[in-house]
Amino acid sequence: MTDGPGIRFESVGLELGGTEILTGIEFEVGPGEIHCLIGPNGGGKTSLVRCLLGQMPHTGTIAVDWRDRRVTGYVPQFLDFDKSLPVSVDDFMAMVCQKRRPAFVGLSKRNRDLTDAALARVGLNGKRESRLGSLSGGERQRVLFAQALIPEPALLVLDEPMSSMDEVGAEYFERIIRELAADGVTILWVAHDLRQVEAMADTATCVNRTILFSGPPAEVLVGHEAEVLFARVGETVAQDVAS
Amino acid sequence: MTAIYDWIRETLMNLAFAGTLPLAFQYGFVINALLCALLIGPVLGAVGTMVVTKRMAFFSQAVGNAAMTGVAIGVLLGESYTEPYISTFSFCILFGLVLNYTKGRTALSADTLIGVFLSISLAVGASLLLFVSARVNTHILEAVLFGSVLTVSDTDINVLLVVTVATLLIGVPLFNRLLLASLNPSLADVRGVPVRALEYVFVLMITVLTVACLKIVGAVLVEALLLIPAAAARNVIRSMKGFVFLSITISTLSCIGGVLLPMQFDVPLPSGGAIIMIAAGFFVVTLLIRVTISRFREAQP
Repeated sequence: MTDGPGIRFESVGLELGGTEILTGIEFEVGPGEIHCLIGPNGGGKTSLVRCLLGQMPHTGTIAVDWRDRRVTGYVPQFLDFDKSLPVSVDDFMAMVCQKRRPAFVGLSKRNRDLTDAALARVGLNGKRESRLGSLSGGERQRVLFAQALIPEPALLVLDEPMSSMDEVGAEYFERIIRELAADGVTILWVAHDLRQVEAMADTATCVNRTILFSGPPAEVLVGHEAEVLFARVGETVAQDVAS
Repeated sequence: MTAIYDWIRETLMNLAFAGTLPLAFQYGFVINALLCALLIGPVLGAVGTMVVTKRMAFFSQAVGNAAMTGVAIGVLLGESYTEPYISTFSFCILFGLVLNYTKGRTALSADTLIGVFLSISLAVGASLLLFVSARVNTHILEAVLFGSVLTVSDTDINVLLVVTVATLLIGVPLFNRLLLASLNPSLADVRGVPVRALEYVFVLMITVLTVACLKIVGAVLVEALLLIPAAAARNVIRSMKGFVFLSITISTLSCIGGVLLPMQFDVPLPSGGAIIMIAAGFFVVTLLIRVTISRFREAQP
């Protein structure tokens, strides 16, 4: 059983090149909770995640109350690489999981076992030797998910992992997320499918530069009201961009 | 080290006189060049795979051209025209660091910025070479630009040995982290990779390696030896293991062939040109394999 951390965002703000990206962000993620970040594209969700990961210089406080292992698993939106590169799934896992042993000499016995287990968990155990570039977008996302499971994280951060996911992949994702949450892992998940949020999240926060609402999805995503609000947020941003 | 080099030279020359080795081994300078080739080949082949994966080919070309400027500055400042290492290393390291520092601080794309730096460096180098050519034999300049087996000294072998060992000691343990940083910097950062610091490490690695290889491959052609073996390997290989080892093999065979074949067949070619032409031959062969054999065509995305 993992004792996932609690996270507290207090007056978090972010300014880049004179543009205010985030302002007055305040919410909490409970230990072992599935918390979804939703909101329109360009609303600052990924920036907020990068602030949490310590990759952007923000104002305010992001306090992570670690209770167990300080292990963060991270699933990025995509990999930016030349698809024709001779990098197999095994090579990629070696690059991510092994610090000193270079990928071109292969995985160590220990990492081989961990990698096999993680790839089997996302349903890709038959793809170990496939080139990363030859996989479908959804399969690549599953590889990215598999690497986040090594070592088993206490905090899992998912940045729109479902954007190019097929139905089978989405089922794997949902099942693993439920298993991890049941094990006590704290999950912060940038999501765009409101039905999925309603079904999976313990709490959700809607971000569009600032917080629009935050709370249990059953309360804040009642009926279609939130979807309407979501659409309006999208329209507002579209108008901002147009003007 | 000189005693070791002398022993190697003497042994190989005796074997050549005895008819065991080809006649080219009768000459000490050929053995010097061959020692350099055996150091350069594997290390450039391996680093080349990282250059290709990290899309840094254009950067290494810029450093090669900067090396020419560095040589010109060294000669003008009174450094030995056969071994102007202090000025060349200094200028190229400065060039690489400033370029990398500027890269993250402008709105320009990396290739545009590298193009600007390359052009400036070339312009300065070309202007200085005008003055340099009045001071030294133009054949010396040709050797710097295109490589020459005739000018390799024990000092050059020592420099290459130190750089090669340093590159292996730094590059092998950092291999995964260097590549992961280019695939996804955010993921690399979460995995504890110091992304920005490693960028500088890699830039320094390419820069120092480029300067150390000048004597054999030449300023203009070093980049080609970083690029072509890796590109040739990539045509027919699907895994990182095959990629690295085939690139090393092609690079090493090209270097050895480029040094020995012109001597053996008495063809007056600069060693850099011969090395790159052989590497290009490998590229054409692997390309044909890819185009004609369906199993390799399937490797395309």
